[in-house]
Amino acid sequence: MPKRGSRLSCQRFKNWVEERYDIEAVKKLARHKLVPINQYEIWYYTGGIAMFLFILQFISGMVLSFYYVPHPEYAFKSIIEIVTKLNMGWFFRSVHHWGAQLAILVLFIHVFSTLLLKSYRKPRELLWITGFGLLKMSIFFGLSGYFLLWDERAFAAVRVATGGAGNLPIVGGLIKGFLRGGIDVTGDTLTRFYAFHVSILPVLTLLFVGIHLLLVQYHGMSIPLSAQNKTTKKVPFFPNVIYKDFIIWLVVLGIMVTLATFLPPEIGKKADPLAPAPENIKPEWYFLFLFQTLKLFPGEILGLNGETIAILLIACGILFFFLIPFFDRKSNRGEPSPVFTWIGIFYTVYFIVMTVIGFLT
Amino acid sequence: MKRFILLLMLLLVNTVIVWAEDKVEVFPSVRYDQFTIYQNLAIFWMGIIGLIIIIKIKLKEIERIQKMGIDKEEKDVPLLD
Repeated sequence: MPKRGSRLSCQRFKNWVEERYDIEAVKKLARHKLVPINQYEIWYYTGGIAMFLFILQFISGMVLSFYYVPHPEYAFKSIIEIVTKLNMGWFFRSVHHWGAQLAILVLFIHVFSTLLLKSYRKPRELLWITGFGLLKMSIFFGLSGYFLLWDERAFAAVRVATGGAGNLPIVGGLIKGFLRGGIDVTGDTLTRFYAFHVSILPVLTLLFVGIHLLLVQYHGMSIPLSAQNKTTKKVPFFPNVIYKDFIIWLVVLGIMVTLATFLPPEIGKKADPLAPAPENIKPEWYFLFLFQTLKLFPGEILGLNGETIAILLIACGILFFFLIPFFDRKSNRGEPSPVFTWIGIFYTVYFIVMTVIGFLT
Repeated sequence: MKRFILLLMLLLVNTVIVWAEDKVEVFPSVRYDQFTIYQNLAIFWMGIIGLIIIIKIKLKEIERIQKMGIDKEEKDVPLLD
């Protein structure tokens, strides 16, 4: 039983807050937030899982940043020291690695479910844009974090990724130079990627997550067209949905910790900028679909560089994907649009098939 | 022949040492530490399952009260003070 003194101080603190802020209005707002219950309800939870994983990434990343040294001479050594000398250092690095993999996986699931359920339709176009931005930022988070390891595989991966961006006509050279901080991947690239990973990207992510969450509160949960005409039951977000969120987050936390324990990420050889790229290197799984697509193109098409054409086509495909809410007029009018359903299925199947082929070959 | 075998043995030992040096231990190699980690993981999962059960019970109770309709505040309730 709590002591009388502590109960009094709690009450005094509550009174102190309530005298200054309209807590009752916030409570009322929370009580009135309703979530529709339908057969697609499961997909509503993917956004919450991604947010939970982002929070865990921020925490584990902060712990690692206490010991990581962003310098080409010491970066690799500092990671080895984190893993071998620090108490639970291996665990925090492993949790950060698996948290990143799961966050990107959940974000892909969230984006593809939004695409297939057409939750991007009017008036939620801005939600799609901010969500798409968050996915892109997460992928860049993954690439920049991978490079911080400063091992030969990460080095080769960044050289290929930034080189690919450099193949874009007109702006390619500018993007490549900006990302690398010079002509080739060097220690300057490490400093630059460290700045992206620990300051620029976290600030942008917080901003985008904030806007995304505000827009979700403003518009409410999207009901798919097929479920819109049916009488849907609505349940309060607090406490019904938040409790279900907690259950899912606990399971995700358990899975992440189990993966971190049983499959800690390996550390390769220290990067040598003058050494050739190691054989059979593969990018991270979320780049495999791009890697496989590039393989489909020959070296030269009608006298033009095949890689440049491939990168251009991929960029057009991604741009179309980004602009889908503005092309899908039928969904915006609340009518079924089978063409965009098939386009959504095509994008999803293409991503999965190419990733699996890239993984197996 | 003896020299050749000795040379081969040295080469093998050297290869093993080099290979061992290259591979960084990313997980504690001491059996006792490994046992402690697996034990803690099992306790962690028990904690997670326990929490899930508690939340499930709480959620069921909330849904039961909502079904009865006694969770809503009544309007025009006379004040006692």
